[in-house]
Amino acid sequence: MVEVVRQFASGIYNLLLGLFTSGKHLTRHAITIQYPKERWTMPERSRGMVVLLTDHETGQLNCTACLLCMRACPAGAIEIEVEKDEKGKRHLKGFQVDYHLCCFCGLCEEACNFAAIKMATKYEFPEYDKKNLVWDINKLAEMGLDVPYEKPVRKTPEAKKPAAAASAATTTPAPEPPADAEPGGDATPPKGEG
Amino acid sequence: MELAPVFTWLYGLLLSLGLGTSVADLISLVALAVIVFGFLAVVALFLVWWERKVSAHIQQRFGPMMTGWHGVFQTIIDALKLLQKEDITPALADRKVFFWAPVICFVCAFAAYVVMPFGKGLIVSDLNIGILYIVAITTFTIISLLMAGWGSNNKYALLGGMRSAAQAVSYEVPLVLSLLGVVMVTGSMSMNDIVAGQAGWGGFHWNALFQPLGFLIYIIAATAEANRTPFDLPEAEQELVAGFNIEYSGMKFAMFFLAEFVNMFTVSAIAATVFLGGWNGPLLPSWVWFLGKTLAMVFVLMWFRWTYPRLRVDQLMEFAWKVLVPLAFLNILYVGVMAKWLKW
Amino acid sequence: MAEQLRTEEMILNMGPHHPSTHGVCRLILTLDGEVIKNCVPVVGYLHRAIEKMVENRTYAQCIPLMDRFEYVTSMSCDWAFCLAAEKLTEITVPERAEYLRVIMAELNRIASHLVFMGVTAMDLGALTPFLYGFREREMIMDLFEMTCGQRLTYNYIRIGGVSKDIPPEFIGQCRHFLDIFPGKIKDYEKLLLKNPIWIARNRGIGIITEQMAYDYAISGPNARASGVNFDLRKDDPYSIYNRFEFDIPVLNGCDCYDRYIVRLEEMRQAARIIRQALDQLPGGEIRAKVPLKFKPEIGELYSRIENSRGEMGVYLVSDGSTKPFRLRARGGSYNHLQAIPDIVRGLKIADMVAIFASLDIIMPEIDR
Repeated sequence: MVEVVRQFASGIYNLLLGLFTSGKHLTRHAITIQYPKERWTMPERSRGMVVLLTDHETGQLNCTACLLCMRACPAGAIEIEVEKDEKGKRHLKGFQVDYHLCCFCGLCEEACNFAAIKMATKYEFPEYDKKNLVWDINKLAEMGLDVPYEKPVRKTPEAKKPAAAASAATTTPAPEPPADAEPGGDATPPKGEG
Repeated sequence: MELAPVFTWLYGLLLSLGLGTSVADLISLVALAVIVFGFLAVVALFLVWWERKVSAHIQQRFGPMMTGWHGVFQTIIDALKLLQKEDITPALADRKVFFWAPVICFVCAFAAYVVMPFGKGLIVSDLNIGILYIVAITTFTIISLLMAGWGSNNKYALLGGMRSAAQAVSYEVPLVLSLLGVVMVTGSMSMNDIVAGQAGWGGFHWNALFQPLGFLIYIIAATAEANRTPFDLPEAEQELVAGFNIEYSGMKFAMFFLAEFVNMFTVSAIAATVFLGGWNGPLLPSWVWFLGKTLAMVFVLMWFRWTYPRLRVDQLMEFAWKVLVPLAFLNILYVGVMAKWLKW
Repeated sequence: MAEQLRTEEMILNMGPHHPSTHGVCRLILTLDGEVIKNCVPVVGYLHRAIEKMVENRTYAQCIPLMDRFEYVTSMSCDWAFCLAAEKLTEITVPERAEYLRVIMAELNRIASHLVFMGVTAMDLGALTPFLYGFREREMIMDLFEMTCGQRLTYNYIRIGGVSKDIPPEFIGQCRHFLDIFPGKIKDYEKLLLKNPIWIARNRGIGIITEQMAYDYAISGPNARASGVNFDLRKDDPYSIYNRFEFDIPVLNGCDCYDRYIVRLEEMRQAARIIRQALDQLPGGEIRAKVPLKFKPEIGELYSRIENSRGEMGVYLVSDGSTKPFRLRARGGSYNHLQAIPDIVRGLKIADMVAIFASLDIIMPEIDR
């Protein structure tokens, strides 16, 4: 009998405790923000849209068409067209990012040594037409015009030889650009691309 | 600021038009029905908005904010949206039953307000079986839930309908027993008498203070009658995907939805009238007291919903029959002893 | 003479679209009124062929795929894969990277248990703890976003270490989170733990006996609530877990209630580990030197870690090339789902929901 009354009292006490726990939140201000009137400031490392970066002084794209990002992408979202001029130097002809496939992993940004491709903090790019989600080189460059970045310090060719020998001592694994690599090496996932 | 003189003056106006008492009575009854219906419709819309805001702030978010100041017009916009939705009737559904279920639910929700005292002199018809009438009418909602469950030709809906019928029938008993305690003390079932019996102590001679156990039982049973958490199994989203109203869309669904909120207002209004002193109170007009007490009870019901998990069907029934009914009988014993001993 | 009333058993499809089957799981229930006579889970609605896709990608490219293997505890999935690859090549991960891995994995454990807590309460009708849990989870997501840039699929733990170092404001914010977190756990307990309705819905429901736990290879908090004292962080320690002091909550109730308590307690212990890791965090490199074309040794091995759902194992077969030959990822939820027909026989639909929620089953782990 005593046990029943004790259980009853404990039950009522805990029910009231629950009420007060949820009730005290009525006195607190809401923590949500009213999007789209207010926006959250994204952290600088936030992985948003993929953009191509332009050199502020020369106005040219930083990309050297080394194809490392294309090979790093796990989804095969990047397609690059390269043309070689008469000296054999590679130029970027076309660059396409397919946002249907991009998984926003950031591997392309990490693979790039030239600060050419970056994941900006901008994330709002909805489209009504699916075709507009495949961005070509002009759109990518245009979106990248206002994205801040730090240009990496490039080692001069003379300093490169000792640096290559002592590469084991560097803190970050700096992959050297391959001497001649065909597009679509064994690292690109098969996507019907040659 | 009392409203009763306004209505008396309007009635006098009608008589002075020379129509004769019976015609004037008829017109005034129809007008009263329209006024009460309109008031309750507005109250239902307000309650939907208020529930969304209360739930949002308990969860530390904002709720509707875009339509009007803090989203006050949200319910109206939602109702308009529901109006333009396609009214789908499942192919194999029992058409008549399917059609009449929301109608009955809606009508019965409003029919209880015939005897509700909104303020001093503000009662449509002071039946001498007031509280019994309310209990009888609110029981009709069970039939409409069963009809909805059966007529939808859907296993989920059938389960929901059965559950709700079992629950409503089980919780009628403690509900009525707790109200019986008040009737014993008042000596009459008329709502006006019940309110008048609590007029002492400057309007604070509440029945809840004298019968706390009865009040507690009434709140729990009322939550179950209104199908609110922790007893909202008939519409348990997480288990039966909306239960009995799974096949309803458009205006029919809106009717069920609004009827649920009107029901919530009904049980809160009864609690306010029977246990919390009705429209008695100093200083403010009587209808303000009535509205205030009812809305406070509605807030308590909403608070319950956003805090507690829900009970399983058999636990619910067990709770009703093994806990609430014995307690309700205990309450009646207590009231009887007090009435005889202390001459209540 | 009274005719025998024909009461048939009803077959109910708790289908792929259902608010309370976590993810897309189809359960074919055979009901007798409300009582469940049999339950057949049908899986495969979330199959994305991860194990096949991995065979066509280099090891670095597999990590975003392993993120999506079980997206609620994405860090642990990355870690399991990287552990397997590192063991094949015998790479030593730098100290700082190990500490960062532990911090991230434990934060992810807390985040996952917060999801569990919120969703379990929501399935049983208490809609508010979900929002409270996600309020804390937002703070953890902010920590992750400032470190690696994403909130759910991090691509952070790499072979040889981690990809980026923590920014300077991470430690302060993390400590602030750890300071307010115990108070929040108390809030969750006050809301639900001793609530008579919660106890009535969870006590004695969904019994997994100790023998059943062994038979079905149930691991993680589900097993620990049934008295099986097994946690990979203590019994088969990987990384640097042997440097931290923490307890493993083990209870004997075997029911949903104890599974809930075990996870709440694990959140506290995870906070304890993170605090110690932050105190001991050394400086140094964050990633070992790993060649761009990473080729592990030829061989095969199985490595496992303690996920928030149990034992997460990766069986990796390498043929010496840059792509894995075969990857078999094992998640704990598969075994838990297998055990469900045994557990729910004779219980009601409402209990089914409670049990499914308390086992913390996540479908992507099952369907891969």
